[in-house]
Amino acid sequence: MREATPNVAEARRMLNKGIVISGVGETEQGKLPGRGSFELLAEATKITLDDAGLTLGEVDGLVTAFSFVESTLMHSTTFADYLGMEPGYFASVAVGGATAPLMAVQAAMAIDAGLAEVVLCVRGDNTRSGISSSGMIAMAREMSHGAFEAPFGLTTIGGYGLLAQRYMYEHNVPQEALAAVVATQSEHAHLKWNAMLRDVVTIEDVLNDRWIATPFHVMDCSLVSDGAAAFIVTTADRAKAMRPKPVYITGIGEGYSHQYISEAESVDSVRQGLGRAGRRAMEVAGITPKDLDVAEIYDSFSFTPLIALEGFGICGPGEAGDWVLEGNGKLGGSLPMNTHGGLIRQAHLGAMHHIVEAALQLRGEADDTGRGGGNHQVPDAKLAITNGSGGILAATSALVLSSEPPAAA
Amino acid sequence: MAEETAKPAYAKPLPDRRPEGDRFWEGMREHKLLLPAGPDGTPFWYPRAYTPGTMEPVQWVEATGLGEVYTYSVHFIGPSKAYKGDPPHIVALINLDEGVRMMSNLVADEPDYPSIDPEKVSIGMRVRIVFHDVTDEITLPKFAPA
Repeated sequence: MREATPNVAEARRMLNKGIVISGVGETEQGKLPGRGSFELLAEATKITLDDAGLTLGEVDGLVTAFSFVESTLMHSTTFADYLGMEPGYFASVAVGGATAPLMAVQAAMAIDAGLAEVVLCVRGDNTRSGISSSGMIAMAREMSHGAFEAPFGLTTIGGYGLLAQRYMYEHNVPQEALAAVVATQSEHAHLKWNAMLRDVVTIEDVLNDRWIATPFHVMDCSLVSDGAAAFIVTTADRAKAMRPKPVYITGIGEGYSHQYISEAESVDSVRQGLGRAGRRAMEVAGITPKDLDVAEIYDSFSFTPLIALEGFGICGPGEAGDWVLEGNGKLGGSLPMNTHGGLIRQAHLGAMHHIVEAALQLRGEADDTGRGGGNHQVPDAKLAITNGSGGILAATSALVLSSEPPAAA
Repeated sequence: MAEETAKPAYAKPLPDRRPEGDRFWEGMREHKLLLPAGPDGTPFWYPRAYTPGTMEPVQWVEATGLGEVYTYSVHFIGPSKAYKGDPPHIVALINLDEGVRMMSNLVADEPDYPSIDPEKVSIGMRVRIVFHDVTDEITLPKFAPA
């Protein structure tokens, strides 16, 4: 496939203006009956505005996503109306699990274009409690080709399973490597105040769990949850008057390799396609994987972070399983990953929580001891990579976040 | 074609019909595997109105129906209630000898094409097409050990 050649210098020009994430916020996560989709978004908005020290009237841009429950073609302005705000810039982003980092990029571009200065990025849904059976069928079918995949009983889990089994075959990766991702992240979720699954599990626990679709047990899969999260994207200048320590967006990148899993050329083409997002983000940021302090990597399934770690160049091809089995991804390891527990232990809200967690890590505020969790702060964390992938690793967006301004800013 | 007796209505997902795929489904009803191809006869998958990447017109070629398993996933839970109570079904990607990859199920070449024992499946195993008439209109391409 012809590869797009984004202009690194132009991306740096934009980010060198000083584009930052200021306030962040998450609601409770899990089964939250009685709270609607927009209510959860509004709650995350309030928490995030409070974190930033902002009032709603100071927000002039709104980027939202989509809902499986509230069907609207105009999600961002429908929510603006619900909040009672009049954004000067509005967009609804919908690229599945890649949406959250793309929302940050959308906000940065709006700021760069002079369309807004304080952009609220908010995503959430009552997917677990509020979805109708037709919504569930639509969601299940979302990632399958309606004519040439769905009739064979493909599930989203099995679609990832097809790729994971080929990956394990080609690189001789044991089932234990996938389980080690779950075990690692369970230790982190144990410390996260709003994680749905707080118990620590072992590799054996995962291996003995019930199968859903090979090579995935129940515990290898991400959760279905109600909840919302938000973050404010603004300029470094405006952030000076806000409460949090600003977190700079210093790298952005996107990568695509296929839409339907039947169309994925090879394990390596998928690895390269999604890897491009992270490698470009690091190129724009002027860093290498060795510079990273923390990695909040999209984890729709236990396999997902493995191929991303390889695609981003953090591990060589086929080596991420050993890397995780050796404990590199644990708190205290060489590059702690998914320090919030991720989609498989905390909650599933695309990559929203990955961004919030990365920001909290770089602010030095990832200690939940005072709110019923524990300390999951990576000491002195300065550089983070985070990503989200939509479809079955079809489309990926990645960010490099830094506690320091870009070199040229 | 197998004679239809009073079977319960087929409740599993049926293909979304789009005009681009009509030749394929017509072929299926005749128990022929037809593939869309570019002007030079190189097949591609799935059917589109133009050859992907080149915008060239599409022709149709008949395939042998032979191939090998590129990868598979044993599904213990299906996408809808219609799978409840079934033994696990195996979703596989098949590399056809003609050079395209398509999704299907791995089945035994027996009446109603039941799923084969997952223990007997391996990546790289040779398979051949069988034609599963699931409704009067729709025949699904499935694959059995060659």
